[in-house]
Amino acid sequence: MIALLIANSLALASLLIMLSSGLALIYGLRDVINFGHGAIYMLGAYLGYTIALVGGFWLALLLVPILLALLGIAFEYLALRPLQRRSHIEVALVTLGLGIILGQIIIYIYGGEARSVDAPKILSGSVTVLHLSYPVYRLFLIVMGLGSCVLLALWLRYTSSGLYVRAVSQDPSVARMMGINADRLSLLVTSLSTAFAGIAGVLAGPYLSVDPGMDVVMIVNCLIIVVIGGTGSIGGAIIAALLFGFVQVAGSVFLPNLAALVPYILLMVVLLIAPGGIGRGRVLN
Amino acid sequence: MLAIEQLSVSYGSVRALTDVDLEIRGEGLLHGIIGPNGAGKSTLLDAICGRRRPSSGRVRYCGEDITRRSISWRRRQGMARSFQRTSIFQDLTVHEQLKLVAQHLGDDRLDDVIEVMDLGGYLEQKAGRIAYGVQRRIDVALALIGRPRLLLMDEPGAGLSATETLRLFQHVRDLVRERRIAAVVVEHDVDAVFACCDMVTVLDLGRHLATGTPDVIRADHRVIAAYLGTAA
Amino acid sequence: MTDDLHAPATATVGGPLSRLSLGIVVGLIGLGAGAIVPTYLASDFVLRLGSEGLLLGLLALSVAFLMNQAGLVALGAASIYGGAGYLFAIGMSDWGLTPTVALCVAFVILLAYAAILGALIVRTKPLAFMMLTLAAGEMISHAVLLEGLRDYTGGADGLVVRVNGSVLGVDAVRFTDPAQFWSFAWIVTVLVGLALWAIARSRLGAVLRAIRENEERMRFSGFNTFVPRLIGYVLVNVVAAVAGFLHVLNAGFVSPESLGLFVSTNTLVAALIGGIAGSLGPILGGLIFSFAQDEFGARGLTQLLTGVAIVLFIVVFPRGVVGGLSSLSRRLGWRREAS
Repeated sequence: MIALLIANSLALASLLIMLSSGLALIYGLRDVINFGHGAIYMLGAYLGYTIALVGGFWLALLLVPILLALLGIAFEYLALRPLQRRSHIEVALVTLGLGIILGQIIIYIYGGEARSVDAPKILSGSVTVLHLSYPVYRLFLIVMGLGSCVLLALWLRYTSSGLYVRAVSQDPSVARMMGINADRLSLLVTSLSTAFAGIAGVLAGPYLSVDPGMDVVMIVNCLIIVVIGGTGSIGGAIIAALLFGFVQVAGSVFLPNLAALVPYILLMVVLLIAPGGIGRGRVLN
Repeated sequence: MLAIEQLSVSYGSVRALTDVDLEIRGEGLLHGIIGPNGAGKSTLLDAICGRRRPSSGRVRYCGEDITRRSISWRRRQGMARSFQRTSIFQDLTVHEQLKLVAQHLGDDRLDDVIEVMDLGGYLEQKAGRIAYGVQRRIDVALALIGRPRLLLMDEPGAGLSATETLRLFQHVRDLVRERRIAAVVVEHDVDAVFACCDMVTVLDLGRHLATGTPDVIRADHRVIAAYLGTAA
Repeated sequence: MTDDLHAPATATVGGPLSRLSLGIVVGLIGLGAGAIVPTYLASDFVLRLGSEGLLLGLLALSVAFLMNQAGLVALGAASIYGGAGYLFAIGMSDWGLTPTVALCVAFVILLAYAAILGALIVRTKPLAFMMLTLAAGEMISHAVLLEGLRDYTGGADGLVVRVNGSVLGVDAVRFTDPAQFWSFAWIVTVLVGLALWAIARSRLGAVLRAIRENEERMRFSGFNTFVPRLIGYVLVNVVAAVAGFLHVLNAGFVSPESLGLFVSTNTLVAALIGGIAGSLGPILGGLIFSFAQDEFGARGLTQLLTGVAIVLFIVVFPRGVVGGLSSLSRRLGWRREAS
């Protein structure tokens, strides 16, 4: 029971980590919260659905992040850079508008009904671990989620671009003085962030449903996670995603009547006892 | 007037101040705090005015333990400060911002402050559009409203030339004497401090090194060593 | 004593006194003429659209006030707007209250909600505030759909609201008549607009703007920066609640859509279209939005255009229609006093 609970929350948290760490990365670099992140995730899911119909799930998992990385580059050049001198609030509002536009275009093309994506054969069915039967696909999700965590940590810790990202996130003015090229870094981080949103979208297909409301649900979840984690703190976001996943899953098991509200209750509790979030971010205080 | 007892401040695992004891007494005295870079001068000021919570130790103000009081409470009790990085209201005119604060603090002698800081010619201009040197004076003027009893100044000479700094210091000293204010000034321009301050405290690597009159401090070999140590 | 600080966008023409008296005269004429004239000229259909536009304008007023004075963007206007309708309906049908008492009880509950939420979120920085209002708004729209509350809220179907008798001394039937409702909505909107205009010029407005400019320096000037923002936040929620009550009295039903994110984003768009500085812009923006929605809504384009409008107005016309027109007129030399 407990093992199942933890496994399920890890599976959910995997998706959330991929999405919210991307948000936190852009925030750390540019002080911008991308309110359109949910729509990008939704685009990933629908693109994944289409590509999976034609060429299968694996092709989708390969192609979608590439396509969305290109979208991220366009986002960087067409939105973030021209708006660099605007206030962060204005940029955030623009991303909100862009997200609505993207979401509506997707709904216009695909219509309003939910779609389902089948997991590939090798990932369908269940496997028995320690006398517990568990869906293979969710194990795959967990592996992907933890894998991306490890990759992210390695990148931040051991590469020069990762070091720069950490430096800029901690103190933008000092980093600028050190001659770090924030533009190039931001291009890298933005495309990484949208690519990860694409992966999350494709992965969400066989796990959650692909439907017109998925962008709002996901962006709200991610915003909650980023606030709880202490905005801009990537480690905080990962921990908050794990906490969120656990609370969400446990809520649906123990408080089925209130499950939809549990994430918000978590948010309010965190705001009450630790107004700055659990990580060391820069937004709240 | 101000007593700092065993004050320590940490940023995460880094200790910025360790067990600092310091007493600021006397009205009409200008007290300078100097020290090499990273000595903890600004941190000390932040801890005194409530911007930074000390990890241990106490701050007493007029005999009362105020370690946990809010910034705005301290200000209403007469503890004011100015900033190293000019902190003014860029989008308000000079007069708008001074008057807003003066009304709040019940100061009906705003004209004094305007005259002392020589801001009469800029009253109707938006603060953000005025020359930097004048913005520095606005910053100090905001701290002078409400007749503070203790004035904390963080690098008032930042961004000013040596002569401008010296002139500002003389100005502040006159003001402090005339109004019987106690003032604490953090400054890295040692010459200006020695020229104008009545008492000088030297910090080094987060510890209190020495306190005394400028003549005493000037002759203190530990102080010379501290400065030479960073210069070498 | 209260006119020593003006909102930057309007501090251009005349002295405070002449502007004040001019504002009062224009306001009174507009109040009377606007309430009566359209009811003779326009069809019921147009009046309905206009009333919807006014209600959206009221919401936009609240959002714009907070944006302009406090620099805070609220994406949760819908939860108060829709919540007002729900609480009013539940008060009458489930708690057996008379319409007037139900209205008052609903109002008190909304105030308490706004105050508690506000206490949690106005401390945060603007970006976090925006994220948190979005999250809180979604929380309320999820809460209404909870299975356990279905008996009260009607789930996805919403509630039909029958008002028997009078509300605050006004026969409830009169709210459902398009012409009379237009007059009500007009008067309320104009009065709220004037009130917010006056508050923006009061000491509270000055303090809020100074906090927006430099929160830390305000604390170092002896100001409590939490309470004014909390007051501002509760104040704009009062306006949103008024819009919500008017809406439910007129429409006679509440649905989960009235709590949805789209109401909040439409509000934001209305404020941006009109321009957030001042009271005229948001009201005009609400009216423009309402008529534009009628034009494009049938083709399912409303939300798409909402997104386009947010981007367009922030990037190209950040001061909105009213701000744009006033700077245009200044450039053409119609106002000589202007700098």
